[in-house]
Amino acid sequence: MDREFKTASHRLARGRGWIQAGAALLTNLHLPNFLKGSLYQGAGKTVCVPGLNCYSCPAASGACPIGAFQAVVGSSKFSFSYYITGFLILLGVLLGRFICGFLCPFGWFQELLHKIPTKKLSTKKLKPLTYLKYAVLLVMVVLLPAFLVNDVGMGDPFFCKYLCPQGVLEGAIPLSLANSGIRAALGKLFTWKLGILLTVIALSVVFYRPFCKWLCPLGAFYALFNRVSLLQMKVDEHKCISCGKCAKVCKMDVDVTKTPNHTECIRCGMCVSACPTGAVCFRYGFGDGKQNIKIKENTEETT
Amino acid sequence: MMRVDRKAAAQLALLLVGAAMLGFGVWRGEAASVLSKAVKLCLECVGIG
Amino acid sequence: MKLKKLTALLLAALLVLSLAACGAKDSDKAADMSGDNAAMTGEPKNAKEAAALYQKLMEQENARFAENSELWEKVFMAADKGMAMIEDGKNYGDFLLDTIEGAKEQFTDMEYKWLKESATEISNIENKLTELEEKYPEIVQSEMSGNADMQKFPAFEGKDLDGNEVKSDELFSTNAVTVVNFWFTTCSPCVGELGDLDALNKELADKGGALIGINSFTLDGDEKAIAEAKEVLAKKGATYQNIYFGSGGDAGKFVENVFAYPTTYVVDRSGNIVGEPIVGAITEKKQAETLQKLIDQALAADMG
Repeated sequence: MDREFKTASHRLARGRGWIQAGAALLTNLHLPNFLKGSLYQGAGKTVCVPGLNCYSCPAASGACPIGAFQAVVGSSKFSFSYYITGFLILLGVLLGRFICGFLCPFGWFQELLHKIPTKKLSTKKLKPLTYLKYAVLLVMVVLLPAFLVNDVGMGDPFFCKYLCPQGVLEGAIPLSLANSGIRAALGKLFTWKLGILLTVIALSVVFYRPFCKWLCPLGAFYALFNRVSLLQMKVDEHKCISCGKCAKVCKMDVDVTKTPNHTECIRCGMCVSACPTGAVCFRYGFGDGKQNIKIKENTEETT
Repeated sequence: MMRVDRKAAAQLALLLVGAAMLGFGVWRGEAASVLSKAVKLCLECVGIG
Repeated sequence: MKLKKLTALLLAALLVLSLAACGAKDSDKAADMSGDNAAMTGEPKNAKEAAALYQKLMEQENARFAENSELWEKVFMAADKGMAMIEDGKNYGDFLLDTIEGAKEQFTDMEYKWLKESATEISNIENKLTELEEKYPEIVQSEMSGNADMQKFPAFEGKDLDGNEVKSDELFSTNAVTVVNFWFTTCSPCVGELGDLDALNKELADKGGALIGINSFTLDGDEKAIAEAKEVLAKKGATYQNIYFGSGGDAGKFVENVFAYPTTYVVDRSGNIVGEPIVGAITEKKQAETLQKLIDQALAADMG
């Protein structure tokens, strides 16, 4: 069936697993550190990676945008981070939630868990929960770290500290396995966050990407940029036969024919592969593009 | 056609704003601040303690 | 489709591999543990095994004390009032049992039961220890030499934040115990514990010890970093000495390898690191207790 359309869009959609694996590896290049139980401490950590990837992961090659934002905002010197916000605006316009679908290691992790064969549940009825992530972004990432400060003007990274499961998965667990000093330091906070991680893991098996849909502040930020992103979904009205297969196959509960640039669309391209007439494709470029323009070859990963 | 142009303009403007913010942030020392935090294990971040 | 399957397969393989790696580690540990347990009950075959057993038993005994230090404190108080706490070659566990018996009315039934149980266990451990010491006199020795090849805190010649010279050998040798706290200015748990550290420093001063801070940002005497560090210290009312040195030397490299902040080391008079470094702020109960234990250990060793 897929021999029919050998467009770049189809190739991209089909190669997604490989790109996700490659991106996860690139974001965590310093693998030997897992055994050493230490962190990479080079200058690479000045720059953020596009996905949600804890910078306290032994292998991490860059900084986590959300962690870095809170670090800057929480320091006594600054109460807002232009550096990270600017960086995220650039990524948002260049790629939008394509990052969630293709580049984010935690998104990939949840997808792999979802491959475990069990009964799968739909999240369509839980749509109101998708707004929760904007609250997480605003309250836990932007406001609390900046304004709930101690006597020397320092705020806690609330999202990292109390909510982010990626920190436990990539940071606390491998480090405490390899480092006895850190193992001895595990306490109540670890128990709480391990609970969150296990919950997310359990939910990921039955729901598709629950953390991305409901909680991820990074996904929330990129979601706001889906509409103006250079990477867009395009439906060719002349080819579309309104069969509804694209909406049915979409695990993010988006109908690409109605809202091609919906905030929840992670550009995974499942609709592209599902479309029997090849009417759905990725499009990259400024503006809305003309009806018949298909993808331009510009969708490689960024830095 | 008008709509297309406006969208492209918005995209371009956002890219410029993003780049400007990024540059301003680096200039006022945020990048150094990120590096100094990111190379250390942030105990409270990963949920140790 | 083929590609998809291949991906899935590869991923599965990767997952299995990583899990296997973890699993191997765990089973190693499990094997370790069971080995220890065997040693606990079985007889050691040689001096090396005996030394390991000796160490394990000591740890077990200490764990008993650590489990409920407040309650033990009560017992020690009672002992202080009651009989002289001189060890006349009598089993320490039996001594504790006597003390507990003597101060019985001070404890609830639960506490009494637990104390009795613990003291009996300690008594058993002590018997075993004495037995081992008699059979393998060298293990006491090796215990000592084990201390000797304990890691030295790297030597340094630096300055405090006010510019006074500080030399590591002088610093350590004038103090029965030196607590070294690593921190940096933008680390919020580090800054959060500065007040507690200052209190600890004052407490240590009475016991012939000291606490010093090393702010990793101030290495090489970065003036801006020093000013910022001093500002934070002043805001938190911390008056103890904070020092820096060059980042290129042994001590500088040592700091580079400290990546979890805050980390606190306990150093004895001869410049040896006592126990494991404590990761995390001592504002947490667990960390505070571990630190106190290491300090007491260093002070006790200094007396003996």
